[in-house]
Formats: sequence, C-alpha cells, structure tokens
Amino acid sequence: MSETAAAIRAEFTKVWCVRGTFAALLLFAPISVLVAALDGWSARSALESGNSQLRDGFTPEQAGLDGVLYGQLALIAFGVLVFTNEYGSGMMRVSLLAVPRRGRLYAAKIAVVAVAATVVVVPVTVVSFLVTQLALGPYGVPISSAGVPRAVAGAGVYLTLMSVFAASTAAMARSAVLPLAILLPMVLAGTHILSVIGATKDLARYFPDQAGAEMLTVGSSDAYTGFAVLLAWTATALLCGGLRHRRWDA
Amino acid sequence: MIEVLDLTKRYGPRPVVDGLTFAVRPGAVTGFLGPNGAGKSTTMRMMLGLTRPDSGSARIGGRAYQDLRYPARHVGALLETSAPHRGLTAAHHLLWLAQSNRIPRRGVGEVLDRVGLTGAARQRVGTFSLGMGQRLGLAAALLGDPPVLVLDEPVNGLDTEGIRWLRELLRTMAAEGRTVLVSSHLMTEMSMVADHLIIIHRGRLLVDTSMPDFIRRHGRTYVRVRTPDPRGLRRELERKGASLTLAPDGALEVDGLSAAEISRSAALGGFTLEELSTHAGSLEDTFLRLVGTEGAGTHV
Repeated sequence: MSETAAAIRAEFTKVWCVRGTFAALLLFAPISVLVAALDGWSARSALESGNSQLRDGFTPEQAGLDGVLYGQLALIAFGVLVFTNEYGSGMMRVSLLAVPRRGRLYAAKIAVVAVAATVVVVPVTVVSFLVTQLALGPYGVPISSAGVPRAVAGAGVYLTLMSVFAASTAAMARSAVLPLAILLPMVLAGTHILSVIGATKDLARYFPDQAGAEMLTVGSSDAYTGFAVLLAWTATALLCGGLRHRRWDA
Repeated sequence: MIEVLDLTKRYGPRPVVDGLTFAVRPGAVTGFLGPNGAGKSTTMRMMLGLTRPDSGSARIGGRAYQDLRYPARHVGALLETSAPHRGLTAAHHLLWLAQSNRIPRRGVGEVLDRVGLTGAARQRVGTFSLGMGQRLGLAAALLGDPPVLVLDEPVNGLDTEGIRWLRELLRTMAAEGRTVLVSSHLMTEMSMVADHLIIIHRGRLLVDTSMPDFIRRHGRTYVRVRTPDPRGLRRELERKGASLTLAPDGALEVDGLSAAEISRSAALGGFTLEELSTHAGSLEDTFLRLVGTEGAGTHV
C-alpha cells in the first residue's frame, strides 16, 4: 500500500509542476464563474425587459449550474492531459521505470485526477451558483431552495466522474486528439442535438453527458438513473483504459 | 547481478532478440555491444519490465524488475526512448521520481550536483541541450543510489569532457562493487571503459568474455611492408602461406608472418624493403569483422 501511496504523491507533484496540466485544472474556476455571472446578468435583463428570449423552462435554480457545464471543458482537458502528456513525450517510460506495476501507476493517476477534480469542483460549483444568483439580483434564489442542494452535489459528482471518464478515454487512445475531438463537441453540442431530434432522443439519454446532466437537474426524477448510467460509462472506460495501459509495449 | 535467460522477442515474424542468455556480474563495467538494430535496447527494455518477452526471463538481483520494491533503489536505468516531460524543471522531475520511490528529498540536490546540473535545476527540460538531457537522465538513474546500473547508449550527446566524466563515474561505480551494464554501438568507446564484453548481433549472443581475453583472441596483428616491387614480394610471401591485402597507400598488409620472417624472405628474394612495421588492428575493425562475417553467415 505504501508503494501506491508514494506513487500517488509523485503523481500529485507532476500535476502541480507540469504547466499545461495544472493550467487546465485551474481554468475550470474562471470559466465556470464567468459564465455563471454572464448567465445571471443576461437572464436578469431579459426578465426585467419582459421579453421572451429566455429558454423554455428557465429557472433561477437551474441557471445557477450553467457555469460549471461550460467549465467542464477545462476539466476534460485536464483529465486527458494527465495521460497524454506522458504518452506524447518519453515520460510514460520514465514513470513505468519508477512505478513498474502498470495497475499501480494507472490507479495512482486516476486517483489524482479524481481527487484534484473534486478539490476544485466543490468550491467552484457552490461559488458559481451563488454568483449567478447574485447577478440575477431580485430574481435570485438561495442555495437552500428546494432541490438545489441535491443538484449542486450532483453537479460535483458529475464533474468528477467526467474528469475520470476523460482520463480513461485518453489512456485508451494514448493521444489527446481523439478523446478531445470526441468529448468536447459531445458535451458542448453533440448529444444535445441528438436529444432534440426525435429519432435519436431516446438514445441520447444514455450518452454519458446527457445521463449525467440529470444529476444536476433541479428536481429531476431521473437523477439516480443518470448517475448509474454515467457510473457505468466511467467504469467501462476505466476498465478499457486500464487494459490498454497494461498491454502497452513500452 | 543481472541474469538474462533464453530471452526472446519477436516483432512480426522476425525475432529481434533470439534466445539470449548471459549474466552481468557485479564489480565490473560490462559493455553491451552490437551494431544498430542488434536488439540491445529491446533486451534492456525487457530487463526493465517495459516490454514483455515472448519467452525467457530477465532477473535483477534474482527478481523480475516489476517485483522490485521501490525499483529506483535497486536499479538505475537510462533508456534512449525515455525522457522527462519538457514542461518540467530538472529539479521537479527528480523530485517526483524521488517521491515515487520514497527517496529522501535531499537526494535531488545531491545528484544534480553530481552530474553538474545544479545551475540548471530550475530550468525546464524543454530548453536543455542533448548533453544536459543526458546528464539529467543519469542523475535520475543515480537518484536511488542503486547497486545496479542499466544504461542504454549513455555517451550519446555528451561532449568530450562529459564522456570522460562518465567513464570515471562508471569505473567508480564498478569499483564500489556495483553491477554496471552499458550499451553502445561503438567498440572504441567500450574498449576504454569496459572490463567485460557482451556482443550481440541479430538478437543472438556473439561474444561473452573479458576485455583482455577478447583482445588476446580477436585482436589482429599484421605487418606493413613497402617495397618498389609489391607484386613480386606478394607472390613470394603468399608462397610462405601469408595472406596479403593492399593498403590504399600502396603498402602491403601481411597476415600470418612475423616481421622477422618477412625480412628474411625479402632478403633471400632480393627485394628492397622501404618499410617494415608491426601493427595491432583496431578493435573497431575486429568488431566490424565479427558482425560482418556473422551477418553474411546468417544471410545464406
């Protein structure tokens, strides 16, 4: 166990000390908070001017979680970079010389992604929610409103799982291009488009981001189903990434 | 002690390492020699658990590399294909390495000092020259004060002073009773530092012997002769059983006769000699001849 603990400690040092990785992780905060503020301001002016530019089903409670949905792009990049930084250079071989048990190195990297993501996700999600409400002014709601605490907690779990999901897909692909080219458009627009088209609507619900989105939908009755689906995606990706990492002929 | 037992690795149908068996003993610098593509790096990667052999095994101190507890304390490794991330500073790279193997933090400063990189400790690896990168790789290998060193082409990229420093380091490590395995594709480099020699070619073992023994058995000596009538002398000496080659400058290189014997034959035949000298063939030539003939043999 202590060997694993040592490996985890070393992986944390890498995250702090490799510029790109750390920057991606930190970027989650300003993106989320900025979008949260803009979201609140624009909604407020729309409400005040009485025009109907607001989305269907707008609620101040839900708007409070829009920021982190954009911020997750940075988290996905972070999860991907933790692996592809090393495959891209000769670093993964150095890592394997230091920690030759493949499973141990993989587990240490995943653990660091999960922990580092959690550490930034929890405060940033709460702050983003509060910032949106502040920007909404008189239309803002307290964080203790019905359904909000569960949705905020759900957002935290969702974002952490997505980071881990991204990291494991990077371990599968061993290159940043493919995972980023699939994951970023997916969470931005892709499956949202699928969910609007009638034919693919039912299918889109089972994509990781759409399923996970139920977790941070205030008052959703499918939150736990969504959690289960995203968990299944993540577990599968973890397993595939682990197998691929294990078989890699360095 | 490193033991390699019947190690085999194929990429496609061609075996890159083919039933290789040898042992590397402590207290000596062992040169691991072979032309490019002979299978040296693949063998070393298998020793270090990076590549899985198709059959056979490699053990370090009686255990597979993956089974070593905190391996950096047992084996210091430098591979051509392994490199730190460009965005890390030298000190941070060594720091995470130290942490991963529970090596005290002060070790980082010590090895940086030892390889002469103290001034570049906070510099990012991406800005390093080839030689500095090589020194950092050696620092990483020395970090855990390991009893075994496995270094793949460590001379690459080092300047003259660096090469001299490395030779000194390797000799010191061996004198301290450590096991030192160093690969190279240059015989000359090996002859200056190695006590023992392992030569492989096309994945097979060609030579496994001590350096002095190798020189005694394979070092070629020949006699250079210059005469106004090379054709006549050549006929004369060939009759005595010598084999001759014509050097580019017109002199004859004679194998199989001593200078005294050649002098006697020349006097008897009435040949004038303008030059008569005994030479030891370079080990590089010997090495090239060895892998050349072996190569020709395998082709057929």
